[in-house]
Amino acid sequence: MNPTPAIDPIQTHQIAELKHRNALTTLRVDPTGRYVAAGAQDLDVQVWDLVDGNQFTLTGHKSWVRSIDFSADGNLLYTACWGGVVKVWDLSHDIPGMKRSFQAHQGAARWVRLSPDGKRLATGGNDRLVKVWNAETGELEQPFSGHQRHVYGVDFHPNGEHLISQDLMGVVIVWNLKTLVKQRTIDASMMTGYDKKFAADMGGARDLQFNADGQLWASAGITKVVNSFAGIQDPIIVVFDWTTGEAKQQLRAAEKFKGVAWAVRFHPEGFTIGAGAEKSGKGEIWFYRDKQESAFHTFAMKSAARALDLVGNDRLAVAHADGFVRLYQMTAKSSEPEQDGKEAESSAT
Amino acid sequence: MRRDQDCNGIDHLLARREFLAGSAAGVMGANAIGLGTLTSPASAAALEQQQKRVLQIYLQGGVSQLESWDPKPGTQYGGPFQAIPTSVPGMHISELLPHTAKRMHLLSVVRSINSKIGDHRQGMLFMEKGRRAGEYPYVGSVASRYLAPENSDLPGYIHISKRGINDSTSAFLGARHAQLKLDGDKPPENLIAPSGIEDSADEAREKLRIQFNRRFTKQRSPALTDVYNSSYEAAAKLMKRKAIFEGKALAKDLDRFGQHDFGRHCLLARDLLENGATCVKVTHHGYDTHAENFNFHLEQLGEFDKTFSMLLDDLHDRGMLESTLVMVYSEMGRTPKINSKYGRDHWGTAWSMAMGGCGIQSGAIIGKTNLDGTKVAEREVDPGHLFHTYLSAVGLDSSADHDLSGRSIPIGDPAAEPISELLS
Repeated sequence: MNPTPAIDPIQTHQIAELKHRNALTTLRVDPTGRYVAAGAQDLDVQVWDLVDGNQFTLTGHKSWVRSIDFSADGNLLYTACWGGVVKVWDLSHDIPGMKRSFQAHQGAARWVRLSPDGKRLATGGNDRLVKVWNAETGELEQPFSGHQRHVYGVDFHPNGEHLISQDLMGVVIVWNLKTLVKQRTIDASMMTGYDKKFAADMGGARDLQFNADGQLWASAGITKVVNSFAGIQDPIIVVFDWTTGEAKQQLRAAEKFKGVAWAVRFHPEGFTIGAGAEKSGKGEIWFYRDKQESAFHTFAMKSAARALDLVGNDRLAVAHADGFVRLYQMTAKSSEPEQDGKEAESSAT
Repeated sequence: MRRDQDCNGIDHLLARREFLAGSAAGVMGANAIGLGTLTSPASAAALEQQQKRVLQIYLQGGVSQLESWDPKPGTQYGGPFQAIPTSVPGMHISELLPHTAKRMHLLSVVRSINSKIGDHRQGMLFMEKGRRAGEYPYVGSVASRYLAPENSDLPGYIHISKRGINDSTSAFLGARHAQLKLDGDKPPENLIAPSGIEDSADEAREKLRIQFNRRFTKQRSPALTDVYNSSYEAAAKLMKRKAIFEGKALAKDLDRFGQHDFGRHCLLARDLLENGATCVKVTHHGYDTHAENFNFHLEQLGEFDKTFSMLLDDLHDRGMLESTLVMVYSEMGRTPKINSKYGRDHWGTAWSMAMGGCGIQSGAIIGKTNLDGTKVAEREVDPGHLFHTYLSAVGLDSSADHDLSGRSIPIGDPAAEPISELLS
């Protein structure tokens, strides 16, 4: 029996492709590492079972799914769509089905996240509101108003007592879930830009996530807007310090890469992973070490990345604009055939 | 040696170039056309009773037909937005236009434009001139020439825009009918006479200028002075009506129209039309969405929708809509296919516009695209047909010739005709 290979981002390589007919919009991997769920430029949610290689489709949304989250056991799936609807899906039965559906926002619901204790959902949307819901009943517990523009992303602090949200203009608000008030506002204006030629704003969090101990959070998006209507701006991932609220690191791609950072994850071994879409249609995964703002390794991909998540600690799942979920392994290539579930992954189409 | 026609100091009175934009071809028979030859007999009397006007709302860059007038939710290229019902039973438009949707009984939609042009400049020229190529006047200049009263004290064709080049719009109709381009809601430059010049001195100076012009004309073609005279006349008229530009929008109006450039521009357009302007064009920029099409249409149409609706309400409430043709148009549409940047690219094959008001059947849907919006399925038209339709709607015979000395130039493309079922 071979020892478990060491995680080495420089060894990252593709191990499987999961095909859908339409461009993907988002993706999430359940915490157990079994399911990959993706939204697409259609009305459905695609779910791949990485254990048995099966794939199934969840239907019911009337608009594109923009954001997805899972319960800790992977049995419940939460989806939010451009139509403002949030749906809860039960994957624990032989035939997965919709458990609940509610109109969360007027206009798009851009984000949905489950609280660390699994009892509450947070959503943010184009009605400029952040809302906290009872995850079991779907009842609204608390709306938060304070953003002046569309809310792009929300996430719970691991302590469960706070929630952050970021809007189009780079305004980050920390909400206190005990006192139910706005606790502080944090400046992420480096993540927005006004396109003078077209007289429009561009920005927002395209991904948002705390690290495990809650000392940091990271937001992915854009900066240095030149001509955003043609996709000419720089991707950026900003890592914020929870205690001070200051931007601790501004992670960049190579200068020639113009586009959007669509994903960020903190890896348990201490490095940070980002992914983005270049205006040419290609994609990249970036790996950053602490205190460094340039990637120590960049992995090029043939199609734009629109979301990324960890599958366990050694694999990455990426949603691509060409309709594929691709799985990438962050260890050295095995000289022997892939074993167990990985064979199923490779053959799943 | 040819004299430099652009160097005589008129700029110091007003931004003269605005009026000279059409001067290249404008020296041919500018005053040779009779209104009577162009209006249909039935509408001639009505034109005398009430001036017909044109309001052009130009969504520059190419608004997406799928995010505006021809939504196809749930289809392959439909995008993330829903279609919503309108005040016209059975008619749905994009959810990004909720205010406009409530007023669609005042408008009609053409969903079957195939211009075969996916280029900003060429597409715009086709939409404005009704012809694919050639030196022809824009619809605004045609309106100025044939709809503006002889004694109008405002330029016949005013374009409100914060940027873009100043087009040559009047072709052979002459400089007098060229577009006056305003930099947003700022007054034209040098609108106020220099301090220290009394009215009497100004009048004496004007008489002297006219005297010099007459002497100059005796020795040369009058065309050389027509351009200058048009500029001076327009400048003088504008100076008399400077109050329109100097007045600040009321707070309650800005609250309704929106505290942004487009809101202020539409308020100025309303005031200009109400004060006798014949054609006013307002350009709303920012629809060339090769990336982030959906987020940008949310922003841009969010700004357009409320403001345009308020403008439409005011025209309607003030009894001006029945004499004002309203056009909402772009130079092209956007591709059904969505690119990897969430963008839609240039598309001239199957797209839409809206129009209403004077002479237009309200609540109509003209034409149809196929399920995915990739082709025109019924009643294909091009900007040549639209050009005929605009002019027919305001009572002009678009099949007639421009009555130029020694030349016969059809007003509209003879290969096209009005969309008859769209005319009221």
